[in-house]
Amino acid sequence: MARRLESILDECLERMLGGESIEACLNAYPEQTSELEPLLRTSHVFIRKSMAIQPAPEFKARVYSRLQAMFYAKEEKAERRARIPIWRRGWALATTAILGFLLIGGGTIAASAHALPDEPLYPVKLTGEQVRLILTFSDVGEAKLHIQFAERRADEMLEMASQGKNGKISMLTEQITNHLDKAYMMVGIQIAGEGESRVLAPAPPSSSEAETYSEGKVAGELETLLRQSHAKSLATLRNALDKAPEELKPVLQQAIEGIGEDYDETISIVGNGSSQ
Amino acid sequence: MSIEKDIVSRAIKGDGEAFAQLYEEHFDRIYRYVYLKVGNQTEAEDLTQEIFVKVLEAIGSYRWRNLPFKSWLFRIAHNRVIDYFRKQGKVEKMALEDDVTLVSDSNPASTAERELEIEELIKKVEKLTPAQREVISLRFGSELSTMEVAKTLGKSTGTVKVLQYNATVALRKMFSGGK
Repeated sequence: MARRLESILDECLERMLGGESIEACLNAYPEQTSELEPLLRTSHVFIRKSMAIQPAPEFKARVYSRLQAMFYAKEEKAERRARIPIWRRGWALATTAILGFLLIGGGTIAASAHALPDEPLYPVKLTGEQVRLILTFSDVGEAKLHIQFAERRADEMLEMASQGKNGKISMLTEQITNHLDKAYMMVGIQIAGEGESRVLAPAPPSSSEAETYSEGKVAGELETLLRQSHAKSLATLRNALDKAPEELKPVLQQAIEGIGEDYDETISIVGNGSSQ
Repeated sequence: MSIEKDIVSRAIKGDGEAFAQLYEEHFDRIYRYVYLKVGNQTEAEDLTQEIFVKVLEAIGSYRWRNLPFKSWLFRIAHNRVIDYFRKQGKVEKMALEDDVTLVSDSNPASTAERELEIEELIKKVEKLTPAQREVISLRFGSELSTMEVAKTLGKSTGTVKVLQYNATVALRKMFSGGK
């Protein structure tokens, strides 16, 4: 069976990028020459022209200096940290967490557990989550927490929709995305969702878009956003499930079910709103 | 262990010299990719800088599992460019600036000619579909292999080849039509 032209073109491009001439490749495929040659010449022109795009040397040097400064600052911090014995480091973190707990108040933290994004205790809830992330030292542990927090955001999204508070929903989809992205980065697994414009997770709306929604953007658009976010979040989780370490799989499986149900119900509520 | 793998492994462990090598190896390619996507020198510089800051921050958590380093790197760039378009509230469309400054050249006439060429190139790229533009920017602009492009974008190599073919056919028409 004859090879498809896109594969032949690809092979020739690979050879051209490796330094071979156009003619060398055309000689290898005499039957396709008439179709192949103009495409290879076009590619050659494109590559040559695009190579003229180069960063200004002073810009490149400036960025390098900035990175170098960041690198040394990071190194210095690590050295300072290394000078503190491990047992003291653990205590320092624990003390910080306990102090935070006392300052905010254990009761307040407990009370914030069910806070929604428009409630005063919600920032306390998020701070509590950050503290848990800081106190978690393994990648898998951190990934688990991010997945758990993504589920929480999905629960909140559903609750907000149930209460007719659609303004914060797009912000919550963004947070779900962020948590799933981070979980993904922590376990270093790759997503291979076909035809996705964004690799790791859905492209959520910006905060300005969120405000637009809160100002009364039609529910139909919100429903579309939710459907897209739903599909991509689930694709992210399913792809992750294929490649995740065994210990993370039950957490991912649970998240797929939980987040999926939350999205379904939220879409149903928002959809009913838009059809009314 | 390959040379690249060795350099990346050392950079992950915090070796500044290894990171500098990676910077030198990939900076121009990332810049070119971003430039072809946003079509604007100032934005391309800002985004490239942000991408490398992000790379420095995240390199400690990079693992070889499944994803080649180059794909990991370009994935960060790809996601950052998507965020840029999203935050700008723009569809992925070039914002061509009038004063494109590219490779410096001692001969002003030659520089002007090259700038014009680039401007025309960017205008042609703008006419491709976003997926075709993505593939062409990575493949021709940054010289990634088909496999690396596929891993970067989370697509199959077959899809990348088809997008590459269609984009080349479209560019061919534009070049021959002088558009």
